[in-house]
Amino acid sequence: MTDLLRRLMRTPQGAIGLILLAVLTAACLFGPWLAPHDPEKMDFLGRFRPLGAQNWFGADQFGRDVLSRLLVGARSTLPMALAATLLGTVAGAVVGTASAYLGGRWDEAIMRTIDAVMAVPGLLLALLLVSTLGNGAGNAMIAIAVTFAPGMARVTRAVALTVRGQDYVKSATVRGESASWIIFREMLPNVMAPVVIEATIRVSFAVMLFATLSFLGLGAQPPASEWGLMVAEARHYVHQAPWIIIAPSLAIAMTAIAFNLLGDGLRDAMNPRDER
Amino acid sequence: MTAVLSLRDYTLDYLTGSRPLRVLQDISLDIAPGEVLGLVGESGSGKSTLAWAIMRHLPKNARELSGSIRLGDTDLRGLSPRALTRIRGRRIGMVFQDPSTALNPTLTIGRQVTETLVNNRGLTRRAAWDLALELLGHVELRDPEALMRRYPHEISGGEKQRILIATAFGCRPELIVFDEPTTALDVITGARILDLFARLRAETGVAALYISHDLALVSRVADRVAVMKKGRLVEEAPAASIFARPAHEETRKLVAAVPRPEHRLVHDRPGDRVLLAAEAVSVRYARRRLFRPPPPPATHAVGFDIRAGEILGIVGESGSGKSSIARALTGLADFSGGIRFDGRPIGSVRDMDGAYRRAVQIVFQHPDGSLNPRQTVGEILSRPLKLFGTGPADLPAGNLAAEIGRLLEQVRLPAAYATRWPHQLSGGEKQRVAIARAFAAKPSLVICDEITAPLDVSVQASIIELLLSLRAETGAAYLFITHDINLIRQIAHRIAVMRRGELVDLLPIDAVDADHVHPYTRDLMAASPTPVG
Repeated sequence: MTDLLRRLMRTPQGAIGLILLAVLTAACLFGPWLAPHDPEKMDFLGRFRPLGAQNWFGADQFGRDVLSRLLVGARSTLPMALAATLLGTVAGAVVGTASAYLGGRWDEAIMRTIDAVMAVPGLLLALLLVSTLGNGAGNAMIAIAVTFAPGMARVTRAVALTVRGQDYVKSATVRGESASWIIFREMLPNVMAPVVIEATIRVSFAVMLFATLSFLGLGAQPPASEWGLMVAEARHYVHQAPWIIIAPSLAIAMTAIAFNLLGDGLRDAMNPRDER
Repeated sequence: MTAVLSLRDYTLDYLTGSRPLRVLQDISLDIAPGEVLGLVGESGSGKSTLAWAIMRHLPKNARELSGSIRLGDTDLRGLSPRALTRIRGRRIGMVFQDPSTALNPTLTIGRQVTETLVNNRGLTRRAAWDLALELLGHVELRDPEALMRRYPHEISGGEKQRILIATAFGCRPELIVFDEPTTALDVITGARILDLFARLRAETGVAALYISHDLALVSRVADRVAVMKKGRLVEEAPAASIFARPAHEETRKLVAAVPRPEHRLVHDRPGDRVLLAAEAVSVRYARRRLFRPPPPPATHAVGFDIRAGEILGIVGESGSGKSSIARALTGLADFSGGIRFDGRPIGSVRDMDGAYRRAVQIVFQHPDGSLNPRQTVGEILSRPLKLFGTGPADLPAGNLAAEIGRLLEQVRLPAAYATRWPHQLSGGEKQRVAIARAFAAKPSLVICDEITAPLDVSVQASIIELLLSLRAETGAAYLFITHDINLIRQIAHRIAVMRRGELVDLLPIDAVDADHVHPYTRDLMAASPTPVG
């Protein structure tokens, strides 16, 4: 593990991604203590106060400090998006690899089912699931994971099909290894690189999907300072006080960039062939 | 007369991590007009790098330290990328090893050939099309008109290589670089390509650099031969004499490693007990579809038997169904017909139980693909031990490690290799690990599917020696699939000849030159190159 970190720090992408991620993790862990103000304290004299000494990132339509809301909101945004992506990725990767390994009729059955699920737009599917499961952040997370899984399964299957043709998989089949050994030990480790990269890109989608669900009143509930919810609430005031929307948008963008860079770095670091 | 190509003290490094790696050291060579220079050496000796340096297509981490590369009176090193595109194709042509990847799969043959001619000869489309027809007809391709409208996947490897050679000659370059142009083809196709090469060369008088690791082949096509070792040119002499009287130690080593059919390596006779009998095995690949007739089988009712401890060679051109037999015997492909192993009937893949899978092992052709890149050598070798229980009875960690060490030593690798990753090994070492994995199961039959084809002659010789000594230790029988006739005549007890999915001949080794053999067998024996030296 430490070896992987060291390899990661050696590439510029990996290093920058890790640093950004460290900042985000710090916000998640220590947000409430770092925040200069109470994130929910309203101040009617300070509505739409621009950036300055009193509110570093300005104040919103209720005079709440934007920086404090961001710092506290990291906690309700990032872990959820990460967990949703992770769940969706793992499920998708296993299904995709299994489908490629089984082949033939099974492959057809699994992939056509996935096609049918993918025909429903992602947001619609998530909405449907949340309205069935009930409102709330936890259910929103499950809904997003389910939305992601089919796409991940497709990506994984494409890679796994080439891996399946490799002689080491044939060799395992000839040995009479069990299907689970071949799927989990022979094939999955070799399809992980593109899957990890796809997953890191999807973290930013997950953040946005959360925001959408929150905006529609199905995910995080106001007055929570979830970032997506902040963007949604701020869109009425974009001409009056653009910083209210820019600050959480930048935070989301930074998350996306951090994970994308990390993905690139991981791809290089996880390759045992890379001797640097 | 000035040389077409002349290199002077050319030195090249690759920057890899901490320190630069010397790939070419003080290379000086000349190719006169109309001359063919053969370049031989082990893999990793820098042959291909030299070809790429001449084509000016080096990877980013290459650093040229000194020397010059001149084509006629042009200094190639000093040219801009734009000037180079006017040289490549027009003044230097290149023919690659693998014809299947050298053509664009999404364009028709005609489009690709004419485009090259339009770009390099400045012809109009119409004229280029006519010239292409003439060129393809000239390399003995049937019905060029129809061929030009086909896509690369619709024609065979030999036809592709003919097209590439025709195109390279058709651009009328001063020099053509051939990088192992027949290695990816089977013996008979390769022999025909060589005849074609000799004819075109006599007609056009073009100079060529011919890279190969097959000494017999180089001595046939080249006027002079240069031998490379670790980035240095160690010997250069006329082709007629270099392998007969090798001066340098490296050349002697290469010559000594060449397989000679008259020099038998196996002297014993196998027992009479039939180990495995295949009865009318036919292999079919594609699934049956609703409205389409089922595809023809890859092999038609092939029957043969292997006795305990016997080495049975299977030879034939590519696509003849050799590998399909291996796939059927190991349960990788569905088959009809029956297999009888040790007296026990095996009717389908389902009948292949643990005991059969332990007793029949396979070693694949490509060592890169047959080892999982995410597992260490130790993990790879531990699987058959655990699965078949052929390791020490109680398997505490210490015992398993000792057993893996023993397996590695059995294939002449240091026990410390257990912690290495496959990518840290050379091709020959990987193949040894794959062999160790097969022998970990204590098999009675090992199927070797072209296992020496991607290796150099010297590595090949050491792998063969290893296989023979393992056979002496364990008494395992081998089913040896190959297209190297000279090699198989050294080791096999019997040879099975396959053609288009059918077994045309099954002969004891001393009968292959007899009169009553199938005409195809005779062709095959005649096409295999006479060993040099």
